[in-house]
Amino acid sequence: MNYPTKIALFMALFLAFESNAQEKKKPISIGGDMGIWYDGYGLNKAPSSAVPDFYQARRPSNLFRYSFNPTIAVGKWNIPLNFNFSPIQTNLTTPSTSLGGKQSIWQFLTNPVNNFGIRPKIGTTEILLGTQYLKYSDLSTGDLGVFGYGVNLAPGKFRIKLFNGVSQRPVNYLAPTIIPLSDGVTGAYQRNQWMGQLGLEKEGKYFAGINFVKSIDKLSSISSAPLSPIDPQENMVVSFLTKVTTDKGWNYHVELGQSFYTRNLNTPLSSSPVEDFKPFISSHTSTNKDNAVMLGIAKKGKDWEAGAKFNYYGAGYYTAGYPFMNNDRMEYLANTRFNAWKKKMNVVASIGQRFGNLSRISGPSLTKQIIANVNVFTQFTDRFSMNTSFNNFGFNVPGFFGYKSVSNELSVNPAYAWINSEMSHLISGTYTWSKYDETTLNVMTNNNTQTALILYVPTFFNKKISPDFSLMWFRNTAPSITLNLLSATSGVTWEPAPKINLKAQLQYNLSTMAPFTANKHLLATSGFDWDIYKKLTWQFSMTVNLYRFGTELPGSLFTPAYSGSPGYSESTLRTGLQYKF
Amino acid sequence: MFLIAQVARAQITLNLALNNRPQPWLSDWVNPVNGQMIISYMMGAALNDPSVKLKTTLLDERGSIIGVSNINSARIYTLRPGVNQFSIADALQLQNLALQGNLQNLLQRTGRLTAGQYQLMVEVMNTRGDVVRAIQTRPFFITSYQLPILMQPASGSSLDAHLAQNIIIFRWTNLIPSSQELIQYRVQVFEILPGQTAMQAFRGNRPLLDEPAIRGTTQYIWRPNLPMLDSTANKQFIWTVQTLDAEGLPIPGMDMNIQGRSEPAIFSIVNQMGTMDMKRKNEDPIKR
Repeated sequence: MNYPTKIALFMALFLAFESNAQEKKKPISIGGDMGIWYDGYGLNKAPSSAVPDFYQARRPSNLFRYSFNPTIAVGKWNIPLNFNFSPIQTNLTTPSTSLGGKQSIWQFLTNPVNNFGIRPKIGTTEILLGTQYLKYSDLSTGDLGVFGYGVNLAPGKFRIKLFNGVSQRPVNYLAPTIIPLSDGVTGAYQRNQWMGQLGLEKEGKYFAGINFVKSIDKLSSISSAPLSPIDPQENMVVSFLTKVTTDKGWNYHVELGQSFYTRNLNTPLSSSPVEDFKPFISSHTSTNKDNAVMLGIAKKGKDWEAGAKFNYYGAGYYTAGYPFMNNDRMEYLANTRFNAWKKKMNVVASIGQRFGNLSRISGPSLTKQIIANVNVFTQFTDRFSMNTSFNNFGFNVPGFFGYKSVSNELSVNPAYAWINSEMSHLISGTYTWSKYDETTLNVMTNNNTQTALILYVPTFFNKKISPDFSLMWFRNTAPSITLNLLSATSGVTWEPAPKINLKAQLQYNLSTMAPFTANKHLLATSGFDWDIYKKLTWQFSMTVNLYRFGTELPGSLFTPAYSGSPGYSESTLRTGLQYKF
Repeated sequence: MFLIAQVARAQITLNLALNNRPQPWLSDWVNPVNGQMIISYMMGAALNDPSVKLKTTLLDERGSIIGVSNINSARIYTLRPGVNQFSIADALQLQNLALQGNLQNLLQRTGRLTAGQYQLMVEVMNTRGDVVRAIQTRPFFITSYQLPILMQPASGSSLDAHLAQNIIIFRWTNLIPSSQELIQYRVQVFEILPGQTAMQAFRGNRPLLDEPAIRGTTQYIWRPNLPMLDSTANKQFIWTVQTLDAEGLPIPGMDMNIQGRSEPAIFSIVNQMGTMDMKRKNEDPIKR
């Protein structure tokens, strides 16, 4: 039985069961919104047939997106729908389905860019159908959308969650070809995922529960298998999670997880090196098992907050719910936030350290990373405020093939405002100094960056026009490269009628990479937000980029040689209609 | 007796063509890229039993034994006259190999060995396991790469719109351990469109930026040239670095994806027009 059939059957059975629970029909009410968005993109280059291709299109030519997000209330039922989809495939990190961009209905439904979710709820029972982004915990699942069916039950203090679906759509492998020139399609197995949570909860007080997440690639889901190293995988995670909040403002968080991960289901079944975990996992030679721990404690006061956390991820800890999780590390972080000086000063600070390569499988040494950050905002007077921040990142791997980098960044941002009977003025400045030193194979490089920005914002009390003006200077010096950038920007918003808001922005900048002449760039954008009717809004924005290279990219380098200065013009149109129910 | 052993050995020759830098996951040694084992069998007059077992011994760089296969549970192969080809996984016998102490624990946890120099010794034995009919030892070096960690903009950070629409600096750590071949980093930035989750944008959208960094550098200065003061677009981004080898193929890291992409980070664009807004100014720039 395929997934659409399973979902329909699940829904039918559940409605039949729940129909007895309904009382008298009550009026139907509907909330939420729906909309349609269009993004258009055009790129013209001079010379048009330049070789090498010096600038690539960065958006699809046409992109339609639709959303339908009403929440329907019928009697005791509350039915939120979440449909957000686009018929056009733009996938990069997951494979597109074919060279022509065609996809089957199933591939369309399970494309990660699309959402088709319904969550009818009655009392403490919630049914989950279609695409759902479910976060159970930090060590089990939470990042991916899964298309399928499930249920959340909350009788009394019990919390029961179950879901079954597809987290990765099936895509057939297509080999690269020379005629016609094509990179082919990488391909992917359909990944089925089962998830469950069983716990006890008192809202705002505590939660304790166990999470199960199992995923397995379905070998029969495609007719042309991807090439190694894209192999069919299997993964299972069991985690215990508890969270406690006390009346005195203490918060505790503990999660312990264990994962089983088979990198390649085509490898031989074997109870060595990892024993089976029956009935869930039959081990292969490519199966491994490892653990992870997350601990956290925080205390919240009236004008302050402080916390600390500790995380450990074993080198073999994997979860399909967070497929890009960085493992083989241990870290601690302390952070605080407090008000001082009669609440005129607000401080946010954190410091932490991360150790990597705990298993030593990437060399004999641990990697060490320091993260420190402090941000201080002070409201000296009603008119004058200042924000100061300092960030430090350090990363170190000792040894002959070692590596070291240190980044220090200091930023100061004063702002002064004054007011008269007709208008207010705001002047804000930002200066950032950043130093980035890097040592690779005993060779050190230095990067120094300075940025200055000054911003002036006048606000007229009796006019419906609000402009702003800014100037920016940027300089980056690195070995053999010095980059300077000067930029002037002006923006304006104007409300010619109560329901329409016009916006425009003009920016001109010069960027110079020594010893070349400057690249010139003009960015112009305009648009409006218009409440056409009480519930209908139209947003429109049009942007034009005109870019002309200096001697950094001479036309004489092209084949055939181009006599002028290479450049491009780029136009982007984004518009959307939104209706609120 | 010595003569018989010589005759018996003369019937079987073992050639262990092991890649000196095989894939770090031992279960991957079934792949031809790791090499192959060839056992040539010539029918002899004195002893022509075609049935053999393999005994595998793993040694460290000093020659100390760190793992031995169990000869009793080893598979019996019946050799065909002439050339018999096997994968290196057959030589390694992972399902039958017992490593010592911490290495066995590491193998269970990660499927890999600690980085370093090793030797693989394979002995072709008779089925009783008391006569060595051929033997060969080959050295190999194991290392696994840890993909770069994204440093700046840090995950959860907020950038000023006036600055960000002109310049955004991306920084990341080096590939660990440093590779002697020329590797390439590609910076990829995806816009998170309204109504999308960050991972949805990462998995489904076309990147706004997909450009290589200058070779040998771990920094990329992006001139976005995007309008960021407007509230309708370019408000949230997710970015990553893809690490490619000299041939342009992704370097496998520690994650499940084998795409060479580092764990992505999210950053937001805030318009500092509301400079006097105390609450906005004190958003925690590093949320991990």
